[in-house]
Amino acid sequence: MKKILFILFTVVTVSSFAQSKYQQGMEKAFELWKSDKSWEAANLFERIAQAETDNWLPPFYAAQINVFNSFGEKDKEKMKAQIEKARNFLNDAKALTENNPEVLVLEAQLLTAWVVYDGQQYGMKLSPRIAELYKKAFEIAPENPRVVLGKAQWDIGTAKFFNQPTDMYCDDIRKAIELFAAEEPAGEYYPQGGGEYAEQVLQENCGN
Amino acid sequence: MKPTLLQLPSLLIVFIFLIAAQSGVAQTTIDGIVTERNGTPIEGANVYLEGTYDGVTTDVEGKFSFQTSETGVQTLIASYLSFESFMMAADVSQMTNLNIRLREDVNSLETVVISAGTLEASDNSKVSVLKPLDVVTTASALGDFVGALQTLPGTTTVAEDGRLFVRGGDAGETQIFIDGIRVFTPYTPTTNNIPTRGRYSPFLFDGITFSTGGYSAEYGQALSSVLLLNTIDEPDQEKTDIALMSVGGGVGNTQKWENSSLSFNTSYINLAPYIAAFPDRNDWEKPFEALAGETVFRNKFKSGLLKVYAAFDTSNFELTQEDINLPEGLRFKLKNYNFYTNAGYAGDLNDSWKFQVGGSFTRAQNNITVQGDDIDNTENSAHFKVRFRKRFSNRFKLNFGVEQFLTDYVEEFNSDFATTRYGFNNGISAAFAEIDLIFSRKFAVKIGARGEYSELFDEFTFSPRTSVAYKTGKNSQVSVAYGDFYQQPLNDVLKFNQDLEARKTQHYILNYQYVAENRILRAEAYRKEYSNLVTFNNEFPGFESNFANNGDGFAQGFDFFWRDNKSIKNVDYWLSYSFLDTERMYRDYPVSATPSFANKHNLNTVVKWWINDWKSQIGFSHTYSSGRTYTNPNRPGFLQEKTKAYNSVSFNWAYLISQQKILYFSVNNVFGFNNINGYQYASTADANGNFNRRALTPAADQFFFIGFFWTISEDGSDNQLDNL
Repeated sequence: MKKILFILFTVVTVSSFAQSKYQQGMEKAFELWKSDKSWEAANLFERIAQAETDNWLPPFYAAQINVFNSFGEKDKEKMKAQIEKARNFLNDAKALTENNPEVLVLEAQLLTAWVVYDGQQYGMKLSPRIAELYKKAFEIAPENPRVVLGKAQWDIGTAKFFNQPTDMYCDDIRKAIELFAAEEPAGEYYPQGGGEYAEQVLQENCGN
Repeated sequence: MKPTLLQLPSLLIVFIFLIAAQSGVAQTTIDGIVTERNGTPIEGANVYLEGTYDGVTTDVEGKFSFQTSETGVQTLIASYLSFESFMMAADVSQMTNLNIRLREDVNSLETVVISAGTLEASDNSKVSVLKPLDVVTTASALGDFVGALQTLPGTTTVAEDGRLFVRGGDAGETQIFIDGIRVFTPYTPTTNNIPTRGRYSPFLFDGITFSTGGYSAEYGQALSSVLLLNTIDEPDQEKTDIALMSVGGGVGNTQKWENSSLSFNTSYINLAPYIAAFPDRNDWEKPFEALAGETVFRNKFKSGLLKVYAAFDTSNFELTQEDINLPEGLRFKLKNYNFYTNAGYAGDLNDSWKFQVGGSFTRAQNNITVQGDDIDNTENSAHFKVRFRKRFSNRFKLNFGVEQFLTDYVEEFNSDFATTRYGFNNGISAAFAEIDLIFSRKFAVKIGARGEYSELFDEFTFSPRTSVAYKTGKNSQVSVAYGDFYQQPLNDVLKFNQDLEARKTQHYILNYQYVAENRILRAEAYRKEYSNLVTFNNEFPGFESNFANNGDGFAQGFDFFWRDNKSIKNVDYWLSYSFLDTERMYRDYPVSATPSFANKHNLNTVVKWWINDWKSQIGFSHTYSSGRTYTNPNRPGFLQEKTKAYNSVSFNWAYLISQQKILYFSVNNVFGFNNINGYQYASTADANGNFNRRALTPAADQFFFIGFFWTISEDGSDNQLDNL
């Protein structure tokens, strides 16, 4: 009996071990990302993505790192290469998960990177598409804090540009903060968090 | 299911096997170095075995080392931004001390582009000199895409015409294509001294390529220039647009679904109220009135895109124009109906093959009455095209296809004395092929050829085309181009005589380009040789004329373009200058001469200033063009005199009331320069033996425009700034 229990135990660890190659990889990648080695993290997500061809999360994070690193990039050559790479991973992720609000938000952020790069050239052209993506994401997931925050942040920027009141968008940011606090991750390694950043956005834009 | 004691042995085996794998008994080490071709180590490259978790990022010395439990033949991949991925299939035991050299990816912005002759308007292209928005925010353009292109080098200002005149060529030598398919009647018809406009609304397009010479073998039947317009693949959002203008109004709507979208636009223009308020030099019986509607349907398929575009417009006007030979003036009446449809499907056959199939059909009908005589003509034309593109690698691409043009033209002339009916049927078949060779980021070559067969003339023509580009520095490059171009005579000749041959030009182009951080400098020199131009023996061609292909000529000169939106904050400006030296022998010219649509110097200055506090964009543009030739019959010679220079300053102001409401104001020729486009001389001399003349001046020196544009969309972010 003791023996059987022992074997049962090992079978369980073995099966969890079979999963954990993915888990190990993901954990390692997040660790690299946190310790400022975002390119190494992106490379690892890329490797996981090509080994786990039916999981949208690895390509999603590989795209996200390329998008985030494009904010503030000054070299157009590098900018274009990174955005193209991000676009490819984003398309991979899209093919695996339909109408996913997280993916829509990332796509809006990808376009926003161009607007930040050169507002005069890209602002007018890309604004409607960005707004449309946030709108679509909001229709699917009105309670997703990242959707609410992203949309509010975009709307606030536009309203400021036109000297229009921003109060209602500040309320949206406050709502996003509440949603962040109450958020339960939708699945293992699913995007989550961002509450601190939301507080920062509130400080910067709503002054109190 | 609980394991029973009987199953124990097999479970143990599994267990032992797994332990073995985990403890790394069968691990192999893969290591090596990743460098550029010149040996510079690449840090941050991703090196891994395909389909596994095993891999690593290269260190600062380009080195990598990782362990794998995989055995046998595996594929090793090394990838890095802006470089082509490296792949190697080998037994893992062989993968040690690898020396991987990555090749630079030629799909990058750093790569040389073939730019001789080409002026592009798009967002991401490196050679782009105009942006799509410029079409509508250039002060003198008045929302006409042709108007914006007239501020670019290589064009001549022919203010009373409104069409594109490129490098000593007349307006008929430029062809316009939408999504690669020919547009047969791109301009709204007008009469003497009233400039025309492009028929199609600029906001349909997100890419414009204007080639002033040396263009690809894909395009034919154009002696001087091609203008390529690409329609938008996918509209941004659902919306309704409303426009109220001092000259009319318009409504548009766009609907989107999962994979498809439908847009329509209608507009109505009536110049009657404007002319009542600001009378011009013409005596209008019926001021210009136009009704237009257009619709675009797009559907995305798994690996392709279908676009169907259709436009209908009708315009009419009637007026009496001053004429030196007719004391009571020249009475002219025109009604035009135009239908154009264009359908195309572009798709991928597989990773390396793409194809595009498309066609267009045009029906254009004009009912003209001149001094009581009726001229009615109808043109039915079609174009079909199939094109394939094979990508052998990023460095070697092949592009080929076939196309067919069909035209059926009928004209009927009715006067009190006679009725005549005439016309022609014309078919042209063509095939083209072109290869792109990119040797490195520094050096690229394009070689192509085009063959055309004309049923009407039973004539075959062959046109070689080639261009080469070489990068001389990080931001600069030089390119050269050569090509032969053939074009049949136009309808105004073919309707009377079809026993002719195609006209020919040869282009030689040398181009220098410097592009850095929102500044572009472009200089181009060219020589163009004309042969086989159509000649005839009387001023206005008719059945009795003696037509032949005896004409020839040349055009040579240089262009200069400078655009800068970096040096002054919120200001974007460009300068373009063209020098042109041309002479030709054609039509009824007694000697070789500079035609009246060509002049030596053209200078355009365009400035746009965004004032954030006012939410306004203010634009100025200035056009200077030196005098154009005319014949003074009081003195010996032909086209021997020149008009005074042309000057015009235009101003516009777009004010964003909110995201969705724009107020727009513009005025052309602010300072009211009295421009003279030419002279009309009396056909008979007066008592003193002198031919009297009349200056051909614009109908009005100035033009004002006020518009209010309102976009209604659910999220409220779009506006019509790009419709203006």
